Amino acid sequence: MKEKDLYVDFKAQQAVYYVEKSDESYGPVVSGSFLSKYYLDDFYEKMNKQEQALREKLKAGEISPVYYYCIVREFGEGDLASRVGVSVRKLRKHFKMENFTKMKLSLLKKYADAFDIPVTNMFHLVMTRQEFTEKLRIVDSETKNPFFVISKIEAKGE
Amino acid sequence: MKEIVFEHRMAAHCETGTVTALLNHGGLEITEPMVFGIASGIFFGYFESSNFSFPTFIVRNKPGSIRKNISKRLGVKFYEQKFHDPLKGERILNELISKEIPTAAQVDFYYMDYMPEYQRVHINVHFINVIGKNENTYLVSDSYYPKKTELKIGTLNKARFAGGFMAPKGFLFYPLSLPSEINFEKAIIRGIRKASYNMLKLPVPFVGIKGMRKFARNVKDWPKISRDIDHLSHEIMRINILLEDQGTGGAGFRYLYATFLQQAALKLNEESLKNMSKRMMLIGDSWRNISYFAAKAGKNRDLGPERLGELSDMINARADEEHQFFSDLARLVK
Repeated sequence: MKEKDLYVDFKAQQAVYYVEKSDESYGPVVSGSFLSKYYLDDFYEKMNKQEQALREKLKAGEISPVYYYCIVREFGEGDLASRVGVSVRKLRKHFKMENFTKMKLSLLKKYADAFDIPVTNMFHLVMTRQEFTEKLRIVDSETKNPFFVISKIEAKGE
Repeated sequence: MKEIVFEHRMAAHCETGTVTALLNHGGLEITEPMVFGIASGIFFGYFESSNFSFPTFIVRNKPGSIRKNISKRLGVKFYEQKFHDPLKGERILNELISKEIPTAAQVDFYYMDYMPEYQRVHINVHFINVIGKNENTYLVSDSYYPKKTELKIGTLNKARFAGGFMAPKGFLFYPLSLPSEINFEKAIIRGIRKASYNMLKLPVPFVGIKGMRKFARNVKDWPKISRDIDHLSHEIMRINILLEDQGTGGAGFRYLYATFLQQAALKLNEESLKNMSKRMMLIGDSWRNISYFAAKAGKNRDLGPERLGELSDMINARADEEHQFFSDLARLVK
């Protein structure tokens, strides 16, 4: 690839690419991501649609929070099972609400850790209206008690 | 803040970037493409495994192989350690920093919270250099990020001790000693020979050229395993991410390898390698066409059998091309 054909102006995501320079030598240059520059909106649209569809299923009790976060976080089943210390067969059982409700709290905590969320988020989703999402953020603070989390709503930039 | 004097440079790939930066810091002048080529970094593998959320492919050799092959072929000795106990892992890293030793750490990429959120996925084989520490944060040099940056101590610990597929287990490494003399000619030839073997002859049906053909065959069946058209679109567009955006230097490391071959031709004064580097650059352009094709088809949800068949044909053509290329390259270094 010629250097002149590469450049994409996208500061939020820069990467090194190797190109043919004008003197025919090959070497590194930094450019923005083509995909993120032109297709990021499409990515967010798909992710939002997927999240909404999963949330509806979660509300209806058709799937468990384990399945919801597994898909949202794009985990492979084998990878997630290994992080939590269960078999893939057992993990698939936990995808269903009837088995989720029988799970031990200690195992639930392991799932929450793998999803990098407070354990309390396995039972509820905290959302804000669209107009607040750019102004507010929710900060979860762990306490010494691993099963107790304090969530604060803060203005962004605080 | 305890900060080690360390030159931060962006690099195409995290492992080659990390190893190159550490070698440069130790006084060995070597480029990222040279590290990549000597370590036989070029590769292809197509995987359908429960460890991934969807079939995927890799375009470089196994994580960790860059360091191992550099050690073998250049004679660099590395300190390497994994940890069962996270507290011990943290203590050892802190001791190394206090001794002013920049140290590479294997981490789950998801926790690198300085990167854009949409980019952060769980991949346990990301490498960064840790080059300083204060009370609450580590100072890190990540090849994917334009400048040195900070990461909370708890966050780095989570990243180092994330479980799962290819779990990092707190892995740390740094060069203990560099050889006084290096036979680059021998190292380059061994690197090329092994890369050609991996691409052409590894007796595994989903790696090398065979892996490309499997990818070409199976991509036509991706609609059957997708949840819906948006999911299929996402996975098809990930082809672009895996080839271009996930630290490959463009075209799935093919441009990086072309640069290695050009540098190798100069070092060995070998005109035939220069010709091969030009051929590899053109192969890279063809892979980049696949990236653009996948991005456009995914965005337009134009993912019927005809379009996926076209994509499959393009991948098969790359397999033909690379089969010929690596056969010729192997003959050159026989």
